Amino acid sequence: MSEIEPTQRTDLAEQRLTTTGETDETTQAAWTEFQFEDDAKLAVEALDVYYGNEQALQSVSLDVPDESVTALIGPSGCGKSTFLRCLNRMNDRIKSARIEGSVALDGQEIYSDGVNLVELRKRVGMVFQEPNPFPKSIEDNISYGPRKHGDLDTGLLARLFGTDDAEEAQALVERALRRAALWEEVKDRLGDNALGLSGGQQQRLCIARCLAVDPDVILMDEPASALDPIATAKIEDLIEELAEDYSVVVVTHNMQQASRISDQTAVFLTGGELVEYGETEQIFENPQSQRVEDYITGKFG
Amino acid sequence: MSSVTENRLAAADSTTGDLVSLGVIGVATLTFLASWLLLLQWVDETATVAGLSVLKLLGVGLAVIGGGLVVIGVGSRFDYIDTTPSSSAGAPVGVVFGVLWAILGGLAATLLLENAVVLWLPVAVVFGVVGFLASVLPGEDVGSTLPVAAILILLGVVVAIGGVNAGWTWSPDWSSASFPGSELVPILVVFGTLLGAWSAGKAKEGFGAEGRQAGAYYLIGSVVFAMLGVLGLLIGFIVTNGLQTTLTGASLLGGRQTIPFVGLQVAWPEFPFLLNQTGGLYVEIPGVLPALVGTLWLVVGAVSFAVPLGIGAAVFLTEYAERGRFTQVVEVATNGLWSTPSIVFGLFGLAFLVPRISGGNSIVVGQLVLGFMLLPLVLITSREAILAVPDARRDASAALGVTKWQTIRSVVLPAAMPGTITGVILGVGRIAGETAPLLLVFGGSPYPSTTPNVLGGFRFSAQPPFVTNEALLSPASALPYQLYSTITAGVFPKEIFTNTEFGWGTALVLLLVVVGLYAIGVGSRLYFRRKLHNE
Amino acid sequence: MTQRLPQTREVPRRLRAAVRRRVERTKQRARDYRSRTEDGAIAMDGLVFASVIVTFLSFLAGSRWTVIPVVVFLASMGVGWYRYQAEAAKITTLLTTVITVSILTLIVAFLVIESVPAVRLMGLDLLTQIRNPTMDDPALGQGLWGRNDVWSLTPMMLGTAVTTLIATLIAAPIGIAGAVFVSEIAPRRVREVVKPGIELMAGIPSITYGFIGLTIVNQYFYLEFGTPTIGTYFAAGLMIGIMALPTVVTVAEDALNAVPESIKSGALAIGSTRWQTTKSVTIPAGLSGVSAGVLLGIGRAMGETMAATVMLTHTKGFPSPVFDVFSNYGETLTTVIAFEGGNASGVHMSALFAAGVVLFVMVMLLSVASQYVEWRMYQKLGGEQ
Ligand SMILES: Nc1ncnc2c1ncn2[C@@H]1O[C@H](COP(=O)(O)OP(=O)(O)OP(=O)(O)O)[C@@H](O)[C@H]1O
Ligand SMILES: [Mg+2]
Repeated sequence: MSEIEPTQRTDLAEQRLTTTGETDETTQAAWTEFQFEDDAKLAVEALDVYYGNEQALQSVSLDVPDESVTALIGPSGCGKSTFLRCLNRMNDRIKSARIEGSVALDGQEIYSDGVNLVELRKRVGMVFQEPNPFPKSIEDNISYGPRKHGDLDTGLLARLFGTDDAEEAQALVERALRRAALWEEVKDRLGDNALGLSGGQQQRLCIARCLAVDPDVILMDEPASALDPIATAKIEDLIEELAEDYSVVVVTHNMQQASRISDQTAVFLTGGELVEYGETEQIFENPQSQRVEDYITGKFG
Repeated sequence: MSSVTENRLAAADSTTGDLVSLGVIGVATLTFLASWLLLLQWVDETATVAGLSVLKLLGVGLAVIGGGLVVIGVGSRFDYIDTTPSSSAGAPVGVVFGVLWAILGGLAATLLLENAVVLWLPVAVVFGVVGFLASVLPGEDVGSTLPVAAILILLGVVVAIGGVNAGWTWSPDWSSASFPGSELVPILVVFGTLLGAWSAGKAKEGFGAEGRQAGAYYLIGSVVFAMLGVLGLLIGFIVTNGLQTTLTGASLLGGRQTIPFVGLQVAWPEFPFLLNQTGGLYVEIPGVLPALVGTLWLVVGAVSFAVPLGIGAAVFLTEYAERGRFTQVVEVATNGLWSTPSIVFGLFGLAFLVPRISGGNSIVVGQLVLGFMLLPLVLITSREAILAVPDARRDASAALGVTKWQTIRSVVLPAAMPGTITGVILGVGRIAGETAPLLLVFGGSPYPSTTPNVLGGFRFSAQPPFVTNEALLSPASALPYQLYSTITAGVFPKEIFTNTEFGWGTALVLLLVVVGLYAIGVGSRLYFRRKLHNE
Repeated sequence: MTQRLPQTREVPRRLRAAVRRRVERTKQRARDYRSRTEDGAIAMDGLVFASVIVTFLSFLAGSRWTVIPVVVFLASMGVGWYRYQAEAAKITTLLTTVITVSILTLIVAFLVIESVPAVRLMGLDLLTQIRNPTMDDPALGQGLWGRNDVWSLTPMMLGTAVTTLIATLIAAPIGIAGAVFVSEIAPRRVREVVKPGIELMAGIPSITYGFIGLTIVNQYFYLEFGTPTIGTYFAAGLMIGIMALPTVVTVAEDALNAVPESIKSGALAIGSTRWQTTKSVTIPAGLSGVSAGVLLGIGRAMGETMAATVMLTHTKGFPSPVFDVFSNYGETLTTVIAFEGGNASGVHMSALFAAGVVLFVMVMLLSVASQYVEWRMYQKLGGEQ
């Protein structure tokens, strides 16, 4: 359901016109010129997404820089998760989804024919909105990716010949769990089924699982939505730490969180429009558009 | 860090390696199809193509596949071909190859060392170990090509030089049958090409994780293709063989129908196979009408017996009874009874119902027995459908002060109807084709000359039991029973068909009826599901 | 030990308490029923139950007067429905439950009772005897069915085992491959055609398979492989395997499909290939459902009657060696019932019932096992341990 009634929306638009005296086009023009010094890690160009006949994203263009945190904010149902899923082509799995436009990773188009999805997803990892651990042990959940990519050899034969990477595997599991702030809670039951963890623990497990693969870009869909303040703080620290080497894209509903951790922020509004994108500080302190200001200050959304 | 090739996002341009793998896959596909042609006897094993007998060609095909695999394996090993193999093909592959090599070694030993046959076991073990190590120790590229290639080339060459030909037979002591080369070769080639396609498929994607995916997909794809092919062929057989019989004497406008009261004759479709009696003196083209009507009555009886009972019990178990040990036991028992062999139900009908109801085979006992068979399914499906109605709706109705029974009647049952209907239709499809219990409790003469007259058969009397129905208490025929009795009876009474021809015709009609019911069931499920998701 | 002692002493007391509770609860229920239900409705309930019981008893006795209690039942039900619909509906559904359960119990009980004479005559030998001791020269597997009052099911059990094994070897791997193909590999278009197609195949009557087996498969093996008879265990097993395929594919595919999409997405999103996801995540998660499908398929194969009846030779005995699947012997538990049930009597009939019991028990075990694994899967995916 849309968050604002149509009539309300026109009211707001009028209000903005009168208060700022700007047209929609000029605001748009103002922020699309927003440029980074380096080449973009991910460059999204005129992205349209449809679910059946419903349009979920409307001509979204934005560049995600390397070694930084990009926050996506916006009211529920405005297409943040949809946008995120486009960045590693997880939307390909949804039957009714149709995608137009282009997304480039390091200058290579990911929506062209013959793109290797496996390679793409190794490089662009994702943590989902709903935690989705495998029905396996905690340990196996973490080491799944490296094992499948051949970075860890724990096969039957290797074990027979004693050449398996059991120690590396353990070290890797521990490192990933520590970074996701889960190690202390599960270190004594690494062999237990991951489905027995609590919701918040499962979410951190999924973060750890993604980190273990060591991707270039990490997409996180509300990674702290089910966490207590302490775990949330740890995850925020983690995100900031990750931003030293990686490009992190985070969806969040928490404005403070977005302003705390992100370097740049993109604001989506209902209908799948990208309304504003820029330096986080600038978005929160001096938004260009009235709608964004209303959203940030909590007048709606 | 990973190398540049590993880092590529887009697929690389095709290389020599790809071309060789594609070639191998192509040859494997052709050889695979060709061996099926031979197995199905569509091509005679003595046929020749370009002067070579087909069997030898199959051998050549295998050898070519093997050769291609050698090229790929060696090429990849010495970096002439660009691949990203893992360090080993892995234990499962090793075990499979080990077993294959062991079989090969064992067979070779029994065939070659006729005097010292006891040696076959040690030879097999040695071969097995060698095969295992050869596939496990080297890198994935060599380990998953060369061991296969060796087998394929060996087999291919033996067949191609005529070491095993159409006339050659293998008659082992332990089997009453003997295996001629004309059949054995295509069977082995089928398996050989599957292996070859698997290996070449891996190579085409450059081994590694994606190579394994490609190999697995080629293998599964071919197996499923063969499975669908065989199932499709079965249906094809029935249709092609049965069509002629079924259409004998049929015409769209050849018949004559007299309009009642007016006396006018108009052209009318004519379908003797469906509308004629099976036996009888004056029937020119025997048909399956009695069986068709018999099946109809069986289904009607079974449904009107089982459906009310099943739905009622499902309502009680889900709505009234407390969920606990009792409902669980009933559930497990009904599931078990649904998979109980039908002949067991027949046995029960024979010993319990027949003496008490009709004293011999009869329609009504057939109806009851099929009803017993249908009962568990109706219970299971309608229970599932009722359980699927969300509790929120019941609560909503109860919160409005509506009594339990009215809630059930106006909220639960309508919502559960689609699932139940689908289940019942699928169940009817199954019992309509059911034969075994009918042999024991239902079937009458193999070539009936009258249709059961159930509706006109009711007689009333002052004696108990007051109402009787001669037709219901006498044996009849039904489509599956008709097919069975046609198969087992000696000679067909009319000259126009042989037994087999009449059988194919009956089989086709039976297939149409049953598959038609299934199609309605599956279709209605799709329909209801789609409707539900659009809501 | 020391901890156990007081417990053992408590047992009688607990038992008494439990009985008292139960009696109390029943009394309470009766009181509830009395106070909740109108007198007329109670009368109706009583009448309905009495008439049903009388109907059943007189039917059991084969009486011609059965029609009277039926009429009483219909009348009281009709009046009751008109006057007290809710109560009548409840009693009807209860009645249908009782009837359903008693029919099912009756079938089982009757099978067992009818097989008693054979069991009494043969004892455990019914299931184990492999030589007929009354013959001058007791050969292995010969004269075990009806010669000198010896009725042993062993040849048929062997036949059932052999055909079921062959069928399983065909249906299980190919069926699982088919399920994986339909649910994980096939493009959407292909799946939408293939899946209903395979479901339709599951509906083809077994007698049709039998007819094809008889006219085509049996002939093929006879002509090409020189089998001693037209009709062998191998040919029948092959046909039964093909017949069980669609069942295995459908059930196993449902199980793979039931694995939540989010888990599959999770595996794909960290860059494992689709095949790795299938092999390491989907199949392990759906394994119990897949094995339930296979068990169901085995049950179908074991109970398959018609195809085997028309294809096999109905000669009873042990092939030598036992795994010679091309021998002239051919009889299974189901075929013997179908073939001889029509004109058997006395101990012979009772022995056939014993065959039915063996079949029933085997299939029931398979069914319970498959339900158990399915329940396990439900628990596992539900997240409970
Ligand atoms: N699989 C789907 N099929 C059809 N429509 C979908 C699907 N997924 C999302 N949508 C629609 O697309 C729009 C955007 O959804 P999306 O999940 O991207 O929102 P979101 O911004 O992530 O919201 P939230 O903050 O609540 O997670 C919504 O209107 C939703 O109804
Ligand atoms: Mg979302």
